Amino acid sequence: MRTLHAILFTILLAAHAAAQDPHAMAPPAPTTPRVASNINTGLIGIRVRTARPGDVIRVPAGIYREHIRIETPLSLVAEPGAIIDGDGSGDIIEIAAPDVTVSGFVIRNTGIDLDKENAGVRAIAPRALIENNTLEDILFGIDLRDAHDSIVRGNRIGGKDLDIARRGDGVRLWRSDRALIENNHIHDGRDAVLWYSQGITVRGNTAIRCRYGFHLMYSDDVTLEDNEVAHNSVGIYIMYSRGITIRQNRMIRNRGPSGYGLGLKEADRFTIENNLMVANRAGVYLDGSPFSTQVPGVFTRNTIAFNDVGLTFLPAVRGNRFTLNNFIDNVEQVSILGRGSLKGNEFWHEETGNYWSDYLGYDQNQDGVGDFVHESYTLFESLVDRHPKLRILLFSPVEQAIEFVGRAVPAVRPEPKFIDEVPLMRPIAIESGRPAQQADRVGMTLTALAMVGGGLGLALLSRPVERRRRTSATGGDA
Amino acid sequence: MTTFPAHAPIRLAACPPPGLVANTLAIAQRELREAVRSRWFILYTLAFAVLGLSLSYVTAAAGGGMGLSGFGRTTAGLVNLVLLVVPLMGLTAGAGSIAGDRERGMLTYLLAQPVTRTEVLLGKYLGLSGALIACIALGLGACAAIMAWKGDATRPASLIWLGGLSLALAMGMLSLGMLVSVLARKASVAVGTGVFLWLVLVFATDLALMAGAIAMKLRIEELFAACLFNPLQVFKMWSLHAADASLDVLGPAGLYATEEFGAWLHAIFGASLLAWIVLPLIAASLIFARRAPV
Amino acid sequence: MISIRHVTKRFGRTAAVNDVSLDIEPGDAVALWGTNGAGKTTLIRCVLGLFRFQGQIRVDDFDVARQGKLARARIGYVPQELGFYDDLGVAEAVALFARLKGVRSVYTPDILGRVGLTGHEHKRIRELSGGMKQRLALAIALLGDPPVLVLDEVTASLDACGREEFVSLLSGLARGGRSLLFASHRIEEVTALAQRVITLDKGKVTAEIPAREFIPHLGLQATLHLRIASGAREQAARLLREGGFDPQRNGIGLIVAVPTAQKAAPFRILSEGRIAVEDFELLAHTDSHTDSHAAEHTP
Repeated sequence: MRTLHAILFTILLAAHAAAQDPHAMAPPAPTTPRVASNINTGLIGIRVRTARPGDVIRVPAGIYREHIRIETPLSLVAEPGAIIDGDGSGDIIEIAAPDVTVSGFVIRNTGIDLDKENAGVRAIAPRALIENNTLEDILFGIDLRDAHDSIVRGNRIGGKDLDIARRGDGVRLWRSDRALIENNHIHDGRDAVLWYSQGITVRGNTAIRCRYGFHLMYSDDVTLEDNEVAHNSVGIYIMYSRGITIRQNRMIRNRGPSGYGLGLKEADRFTIENNLMVANRAGVYLDGSPFSTQVPGVFTRNTIAFNDVGLTFLPAVRGNRFTLNNFIDNVEQVSILGRGSLKGNEFWHEETGNYWSDYLGYDQNQDGVGDFVHESYTLFESLVDRHPKLRILLFSPVEQAIEFVGRAVPAVRPEPKFIDEVPLMRPIAIESGRPAQQADRVGMTLTALAMVGGGLGLALLSRPVERRRRTSATGGDA
Repeated sequence: MTTFPAHAPIRLAACPPPGLVANTLAIAQRELREAVRSRWFILYTLAFAVLGLSLSYVTAAAGGGMGLSGFGRTTAGLVNLVLLVVPLMGLTAGAGSIAGDRERGMLTYLLAQPVTRTEVLLGKYLGLSGALIACIALGLGACAAIMAWKGDATRPASLIWLGGLSLALAMGMLSLGMLVSVLARKASVAVGTGVFLWLVLVFATDLALMAGAIAMKLRIEELFAACLFNPLQVFKMWSLHAADASLDVLGPAGLYATEEFGAWLHAIFGASLLAWIVLPLIAASLIFARRAPV
Repeated sequence: MISIRHVTKRFGRTAAVNDVSLDIEPGDAVALWGTNGAGKTTLIRCVLGLFRFQGQIRVDDFDVARQGKLARARIGYVPQELGFYDDLGVAEAVALFARLKGVRSVYTPDILGRVGLTGHEHKRIRELSGGMKQRLALAIALLGDPPVLVLDEVTASLDACGREEFVSLLSGLARGGRSLLFASHRIEEVTALAQRVITLDKGKVTAEIPAREFIPHLGLQATLHLRIASGAREQAARLLREGGFDPQRNGIGLIVAVPTAQKAAPFRILSEGRIAVEDFELLAHTDSHTDSHAAEHTP
C-alpha cells in the first residue's frame, strides 16, 4: 500500500512538473489567500503531511508554489531544478519537527512582512540540517528558533532588493545552541545574527553587501573562522558575548557609516588571531571590551592594512594585548575617540611587539626588532581625534606642516599615544589567505609606458613643423 | 648667394592673417618647445619624478609586497606630492610667462605681428599647459613603473585619475599665474607673487580653515563648502573620491558630502576646478587686452 | 595707406603724442624726427596697435584699434633691436613668423638671401651679430610683402659700418610702391630713405618738410657723433651745453650739431673737462648720403 502510494505520488509530481511551462505561469491569484490555509496544500505539502518519520522525499525538478510545514522527522531532498516559490507571501518552509533535512532546493519569493519575519526556511525544532539550498528573493533566509544542534551548510542566501531598513536577516539564530553555520554565501541581506545562542561555530562563510556580516548578541563560546566579510556596512560585530574566537577571517571594505572590519562591544574573553582587516573605515573598533579585565583581549598575527583607522578605541577601553600584528598603511594607525588614554592596553608584551609600517627606526643588530621604541605621537592626529571634522584637511600639506611643528617644538608635542618597545622590522606572514585582489602589473606597466612615452613625446617632439620645413628647404637650396 | 632684385615689382596685397586657432597653435607650439628646454621645466620634472619614485619605492617596501591594496600611503603620498609641487609649478610658470616676455621686449615684437592678444595669451597658456602635461606624465609615469615593478596593488585607473586631476590643478594654477603675470610690471615681482600665492593656497587657507573650524565652530557643511573654494582641497577631495577610497576617509565632513551630493560630487569638483581654470584666464585676457605691452 | 587722425596718447598727465594727424600715401616714405622723448616711438606703437590712444589710425583702411590684426597684417615692423627667444634658430624664426602672418610658401634661403643672411639659417638668434639680427628682423618684416614698413630707430644699436650697410639695404628694399614710416635721429638715414620729414617735439608735430629741404631747415652743416663712455656722457653733455652747443644723446654717446668753422670746438671743451672721446664721426650733408671726410659746406 505504501509503495503504491509512493508510485502514485511520483507520477503525480512528474505530471505536475511536465505541465509546468516557465513561460506560461498562471498569474498570481488576485487575492492572496491566508497563509495558514495555504500550508501543505501543494504537491510537496501533501507528501510531507502524509510522510512517516524517517522518510526521504525526493522532489523532482519543477516549480512548486506552496508553503510547507514539516511536522515529522524526514528528509526533503531536491533533485536539480526543484524550486519552491512562496509567491510573495508568508514563510516557505517551516520545520516543526526535530531531525529534519531540507536539501538542494531553490527556495524563493517569501512575503515581505517584517513583523511576521517571513523566512525562506524556519526551524523551530532541534537538529535541523539545512544544506545546499539556494534562497533567493527572501526576506529572512534561514531562521533557527530554539533549534539546538542544527547545521546550516552550503546555502546561498540572497535578500530581497529592498531598502536596508526593510530587509530581513540572511541567517538568524535565536536560542539555538551548538549550531554549525558553514560554507554559506550570504549576500544583500540585513544581518547574519546570533541571539542568545551558545557554542556556535561559524566557518567558511562569505557575507557581502549586508548590513552586519556577522553579528553576535549575548552569544557565548562562539568561533568564527575562515569567513570572508566584504562590502558590508560592518564586517563582524560582537556584542555582550563571551569566549569568542575569531580566526583567519578576511574583513574587507566594510565601509558603512560605522564601517568596522571587526567591532567588539562589551565582549569578554576573546581571541582575535590571523585575521585580515583591509580597507575598512576602521579595522577594529573597541568599545568596552574586554568588559571585565581579568582576561586580556588577545590580538595576534592579524594584518590590519589600508583602513582609514587601524584600531579605534573608545576612551575607557583597557586590557587588550597586541602582539605580532601587522599595521600597514592605515591612514591613522591607532585612534582614540575623544579624550582618553590607551595606557590600559599593551602594544607589546615581553619580547614581542608588532609591525608598524610607519616605524622610523632601524635594526643594526639584525635581530628583526627595531633598535628604538615605536612611539606614536602626532600632533595632527591628536587634533583630529579631538575634532573629527578636521579630518577633511587630511592629506593636505598643512598636515605635514603641523606634524613638523609637533616634532620640532617639544612644547606642543602631544603625549605618545602608545609605545611599542620591540617593534618588528618586517611584517609577519599572512595566514588568512589573501583577498581576491592582485596587482595589475600589466595595466600598471602599460600606464607607465603611456605616461612616460606621452611625456617624452611632448617634450622632445614639440618641434616638428619648423624642422621639417627647414630641412626640405635647405635640401632644395643645395 | 641669392639676391633679391631691389626694384622688382612687389605684390602689395597683404596675406590674410590666419585665424585664432592657427595662430594660437603656432604660439603654443613655440612656447611648449621653449618651456621644455627651460631650466624650470627640467628641474620640476626631475624633482617630481625623483620624489614620486622614492615615495612609491619606500611605500612598496613598507607594504612588504603583500599584494594588499587600499587607499594607503602610496596614493596619499602621491596626492600630497602633487599638492605641493604641481601648484608651485603652475603658478611660477604662469607668473613668469607674460611678465618675462615683457621684460625682454619680446612682447612688443610679438604683438606687432598680425596676432591678437587673445591668441598670444591662449597660445602661451596652451604651450605651458603642454609642458606641464609632459612634466606630470613623466613624473607619474616613473612612479607607475616602480609600482609595476614592485607589484603595488594600486589600480592603474587610480593613477590615471590622479594624472588627469593633477593636470586640471596645474592648469588652474597656471591660469592664476598668468593673471599675476599680466598684472605685474616685472618678472621677478610676478614670480614672487606666484610663490606667495602658492604659500597662501598650500598652507594659509588650510590653517585658517582649521582655526575657523575650532574657534568659530564651523559646521561640517560650511567646512566642506569652504574647501570647495580652495583648488588644492578640491583636487585632493576629487582624487580621493575618484581614485580609490570614498570621501568618508575625510571624516564627518566627507561623509556629509558623500551622503548629500553622492554622484553629483564629480560635477561639483569639476565645476570648481573648471572655474579656477577659466575665470583667472578670462580676467587675464581682459586685462592683457587693455594693458600696454611695455 | 596710413591715416593718422588727431591721435593723442597720454601716460599719466604727460601727452607723449599730442593731437597728431598725418597721412602717408602708398609709396610715400615718411621720417619721424625728434629728440628722445619727442614721441616718435610712441606714435609708432600706436600705429602698431600696441597702445590704446585717443583719435583714429587706419592702415589700408583698417582701424588699428578695432581691427588691429588686419591692420598689422599690412605692416612689416622692424624694432630697434630684435628681442626674441634667443635659442630660436634663424630658419625657425622665419618659419614661425611666416606662419603667424599666414604666408604659405616660404623658401627660407630666398628670404634670407635678400637681406644677405644666406648660410646663416642654422644659427641661433643669439649667435648673430647686431647687424645680422636687424637684417633678420627686416627679412621677417618683409615676409608676405606687406605694403607698409614701419621702422623704429632700426640702426640705433649698430656700429657705423653696420648702419651704412643696413641703410643701403633698406633703401633698396623699401622702394617699389611700399609705404615707409620710420623714426630716426640720424640725419643720413633720413636723407637716404625719406621723402618727407615730420619733426616732433613734446608729442606735437612742429614741421613737415620735404626731405631735400631737411638739412637747410635744420640750419646746420655738419653733425659730430662722439663716442663717450657711458659714465661720462652726462658730464660731457653739460659741458657742451655750457659751451653753447645743443648735444643730443644716442646709444653710444652724443650728437652735436656744429657750424662748419668750429668743428673742433667740442673736442677742446671736452678735453678741458678731462673727458675722453673714444671715437668720432663727422657727417656733412650733401646730396650723397654720407661722406664723413668731405665735410665742406657753406650755409
